[in-house]
Amino acid sequence: MSRLETKKPSLCKSEPLTSESVRATLAVLKEIVTSCYGPSGRLKQLHNGLGGYVCTTSQSSALLRNLPVTHPILKILTTAVQNHVLCSRDCGLFTAILCCNLIENVQRMDLTPTTVIKLNKHLLSLCTSYLKSEACGCRISVDFSSTQIPLSLTHSIITSKPACMLTRKEVEHISTLILRAFLLTIPESTEDPVILGQSIIVPGKGQRVTDSTVLPGILIDMSEVQLRRLLPIQKPHALKVALFCISLSGDFSDTGEGTLVVPSGVSLENAALDQLLNLGRQLVSDHVDLVLCQKVLHPSLKQFLSSHGIIAIDRLGVTLMESLSKVTGTQPIGSLGSVSPSSYGSVKEVSSTQFGSKHFFHLIPDKATVCSLLLCSRNDTAWDELKLACQTALHALQLTIKEPWVLLGGGCTETHLAAYIRNKTHSEAESILKDCGCTQAELQLMTKAFCSALESPACSLEHDGGEILTDMKYGHFWSVQAESPSVSNWSDLLSRCGCGLLSSQEQLGWSFLRSRHPPFAPPTYLPRADVGLAAVDSASSLTVDCLTAKLNGLQVAIETANLILDLSYIIEDKN
Amino acid sequence: MAVPASVKTALRVAQVLESIVSRCLGPDGRQVLCTKPTGEVLLSRDGGRLLAALHLEHPIARMIVACVSSHLKQTGDGAKTFIIFLCHLLRGLHAITGKEKDSLSIGTMQTLERHWKNSCQWKFISQALLTFQTQILDYTMDHCLSKHFLSIFSSSAKDKTLCGGSLELLLGAYFCGRVGRNNHKFISKLMCDYFFKCMTYESGVELFELVDDCFVELNVGVTGLPVSDSRIVDGLVLHRDFSVYCPAEGDIRMVIVKEIIQPLFSTSRSEFMLNSEAQFQTSQFWIIEKTKAIMTQLHSQNVKLLLSSVKQPDLVIYYARVSGISVVECLSSEEISLIWRIIGLTPCELPQTSSQCEISNTALVKFCKPLILRSKRYIHLGLISTCTFIPHSIVLCGPVLGLVEQHESALHGALKMLRQLYIDLDLNYVIQASDQNGRSNPLTYKNSQKSNQLPEISNDSIFRSYQDVVKTKDVCENLVVSDVELEANIPCSIPEVAPRDTFQTNKAQRCLSPEKNKIMDDSELFANSTDKSTTENTRIEISYENLQVTEIPRKGNLLPLRSKSLDICYHSSSVPAGCVLPVGGSFEILLHYYLLNYAKKCQQSEETIVITLIANALLSIPQTLYKSKKGNNSFPQIYLSSIHALQTHQPMVSSQVGLESVTGKYQLLTSVLQCLAKILTIDLIISVRRQPQKNCDQDSEDEL
Repeated sequence: MSRLETKKPSLCKSEPLTSESVRATLAVLKEIVTSCYGPSGRLKQLHNGLGGYVCTTSQSSALLRNLPVTHPILKILTTAVQNHVLCSRDCGLFTAILCCNLIENVQRMDLTPTTVIKLNKHLLSLCTSYLKSEACGCRISVDFSSTQIPLSLTHSIITSKPACMLTRKEVEHISTLILRAFLLTIPESTEDPVILGQSIIVPGKGQRVTDSTVLPGILIDMSEVQLRRLLPIQKPHALKVALFCISLSGDFSDTGEGTLVVPSGVSLENAALDQLLNLGRQLVSDHVDLVLCQKVLHPSLKQFLSSHGIIAIDRLGVTLMESLSKVTGTQPIGSLGSVSPSSYGSVKEVSSTQFGSKHFFHLIPDKATVCSLLLCSRNDTAWDELKLACQTALHALQLTIKEPWVLLGGGCTETHLAAYIRNKTHSEAESILKDCGCTQAELQLMTKAFCSALESPACSLEHDGGEILTDMKYGHFWSVQAESPSVSNWSDLLSRCGCGLLSSQEQLGWSFLRSRHPPFAPPTYLPRADVGLAAVDSASSLTVDCLTAKLNGLQVAIETANLILDLSYIIEDKN
Repeated sequence: MAVPASVKTALRVAQVLESIVSRCLGPDGRQVLCTKPTGEVLLSRDGGRLLAALHLEHPIARMIVACVSSHLKQTGDGAKTFIIFLCHLLRGLHAITGKEKDSLSIGTMQTLERHWKNSCQWKFISQALLTFQTQILDYTMDHCLSKHFLSIFSSSAKDKTLCGGSLELLLGAYFCGRVGRNNHKFISKLMCDYFFKCMTYESGVELFELVDDCFVELNVGVTGLPVSDSRIVDGLVLHRDFSVYCPAEGDIRMVIVKEIIQPLFSTSRSEFMLNSEAQFQTSQFWIIEKTKAIMTQLHSQNVKLLLSSVKQPDLVIYYARVSGISVVECLSSEEISLIWRIIGLTPCELPQTSSQCEISNTALVKFCKPLILRSKRYIHLGLISTCTFIPHSIVLCGPVLGLVEQHESALHGALKMLRQLYIDLDLNYVIQASDQNGRSNPLTYKNSQKSNQLPEISNDSIFRSYQDVVKTKDVCENLVVSDVELEANIPCSIPEVAPRDTFQTNKAQRCLSPEKNKIMDDSELFANSTDKSTTENTRIEISYENLQVTEIPRKGNLLPLRSKSLDICYHSSSVPAGCVLPVGGSFEILLHYYLLNYAKKCQQSEETIVITLIANALLSIPQTLYKSKKGNNSFPQIYLSSIHALQTHQPMVSSQVGLESVTGKYQLLTSVLQCLAKILTIDLIISVRRQPQKNCDQDSEDEL
């Protein structure tokens, strides 16, 4: 009873967004995410004063996981971004920047939340329908028969993670590897539905990045001695595999709820061992060449099997089981009795592989869709970052094969979309006003806030004080180095737009992104569509983004912003 | 420490709650973010959840919250309206006797005594409130409001076919107050689609009951996706992954088991003697063979899916895989009961002794496949329904968990509301009428143009009526009125019998009261004299004069006459299921109008006070709803136009589209009145600043 404590009353705050401290914390979060964005983003080093390892990163998933936030509003924002990242892997920072900026922009205006939310929602629906429509001028269709666009996609993703610390050459090496690993997971047969295999990322820390490689099949980490003992057995033909998911150590579980009475003199251990050896004999007579066990093999059984020339590997762990079952085509065996012949599978070959100081037992399948991506990096933090980047890229490729479209990267989609929205609200103001029931002035204010928030991720690509321009035809993103003389002839200073599709020699009109310029209608076709993408010289590869991830990010960002703007009270339970 | 409870303190508490709640009310209401002590973040516009999250300390506040939550348990709607209405009632009460109350201060014995006297007076009001609820409210609902009711059922015949458009309007209005502004349309569309997909021609209330009971199993929450990705999927989604998945085509049957399939060495409370190693090996061999036989048996009966409420051993899993049977383990009992309710499949008993035995309880499924939602795997089961519910599941998406949960609870609340809507609401009231006019009395109320007459005029008529006895209709009117007044007084004279009574007990008492009539008549003088003390207010002075006038003849010959001529009729009717009214305060304005009409005919001060009080407080809800509106949609405009429409017998026009349930509104009103009555009967709050103790003996020791 003395431990009983009365509940403390909660703290109720009204209109949380108007408070100065909330604005300040939001601004800090915005600064953090903005400075991380893009290929030239700044790295963040997170370390806990009480211990734990130091994390150097510029990716939203690692950053937000390690960044403790206490204010409920920030919590909502960061969890929304994290959930989005868990879902789509990519575009986390984009979502966070967009959301923070939209909240901030709206806060500056004196509009009622009802109008803001209604208009936000309407503008968002304009964006999504445009990006999904055929007439979208910032979308490229992906043809997986050529590697150009998929390679650009992986390249863009790896480049945008500066904490991987890769050189240009290494980036190219890794992006090719990722694409190769992805292609290995696509099954050859064209049955419907297509089930993609998986690529397992195997750590190879402490080696050069260029040593990374992709191997078909599964790598099992093993000590050198063990490997040497196993592998003298060479088989000329494909190997027959048995995969066990139960313990083969002779232990005895599942006796039921009652008691088991064993008189002295009766040794159950011996009985169990006899049973195991019987099983071993059956495996021998079935001509099994490789026995894999999730749990532990009894040493006597192991001895028995190896004396009959069977390779036995135990303690594989539950995580590998599914891929092992896929690679070998076996059914995991759960019985000590007779094994049905249909449960056996096969592998084409086994061999040993060595990477640096590590030794691996390598199972090479016939035509399974499982591959191992051996990632090497010089240090642990860079490896962690590289692993995340690879997962992101692999996932982006998976999403792209489902929806074969990519968006222009490098800020071009954002500026283009903002130009489209500006023009749309200008030309179709009446219908929007009718739908939303607001005034012209409200629409103008809101369009300004929305578009400038949309452009904010593009602006955050520039960290070195350079100027950002946009062209007046396609609405693409151009950046100029800082300290450049203000000249009228921009085409000499600029080289290529953010995504690399346009060059400065095309007689476009430029203006500063933040300056006021009249709305123009961006063309509803892809620039150079007539020439074909191949005409873009391969040296300067395109920068593209995954459509699904970006679209999801856009929707999540705006919905979260709406949610936060709609808050009237915060009730904090202080118990 | 003891603090005298007064209307003032209750009002203060209610006002604080009102200020919080009113901002979340109606279509323009905003969201509230609640954090849990665990750090979880919850979004809500649900008044009940909001009040609970506040963890209020003040005892009156706690009582109010408890009343709200018990109301919510019953109806699932109206927490915010509850608070606003209660606050305005208290405000009205405070205004009536404000000056007197103000002088109250805590401390000396004298003031405490005076306070007790006052609380007695509050108690009379509280009784009057309950009388109002049981008599006038039901009467008004039945006789005046019912002609305005609309129905959500498309035909007035006995088969209740739900009208699509009405359901959409009803749900639209409900979600307006529950879900964030940017999503309410989408969510209400989703819910509507869900019902029309789940419904068969003959589904009725049992559909809502089933969905309400099993709502947790019928929806899946997915975070990280925009809300617009929410959808309805055909069939049932189980919140877990397959233990074994074998793709199957064509004729798929399934069984449910509740125990481990593999026979074990020993069952509970039994012993198994192992005498030799050989015996051990043979018994193990037997177990394996037995398991294999059962699985082969299942396979031969075309069973392709095994649902189990327990975890099965590896052996079973293995043989299931070999036989091509998909296995799902660890199903909750709720899921099993849901499957049972949909297809009527019961868990099967496995043959323990004989090895070859048909398994009878199998059911056909349309399909059975994994469903991947945001890289998490679920089981998607196409059941062939045998009841009126065609199984569908809702996939709810949202960027954060708090939002998904909000939508989930809003959907669940809507189900509760619909379930309530399918139930007839019983109305019971007592009409006391003189023999001559019989049951035509209510008609005279409705038709009489004199309902708008001023008190002075009726004052005259009283004189007339009591001089020439029972001749004109006016007399009847007055007679009835004074009878009702008498009714109102009865409980006051026996305050010991009904301390802090609940609705039911009071109702029972009400039924008894006619018998007591004669006894009570004697105490009427006393009752009336207390009335005088309660009504020392300028606002009701006119009716107070009336009171004096009516008292004179009553003491004379009229009393026995009346008790002879009285005929008490119990009326019980009902608001039929599915009654709705347009949103935007229609119910409140209608009730306000009819109550005021009623009050104008009441000469009795106490009753008039109570009715006017309630009628005025009712207006607070539309007032709050239209607070931000301007021009033609502002509250005074809406009010005037609807009152005008009522007076000229034209249909009322509502500026908002949407419908709301009458039953819900009625229940809300009664709950609030009960809560208020409860508050008024409390006279002293004694706060104990100690841990709750179990032993009384320890108490005394602690004192020392």
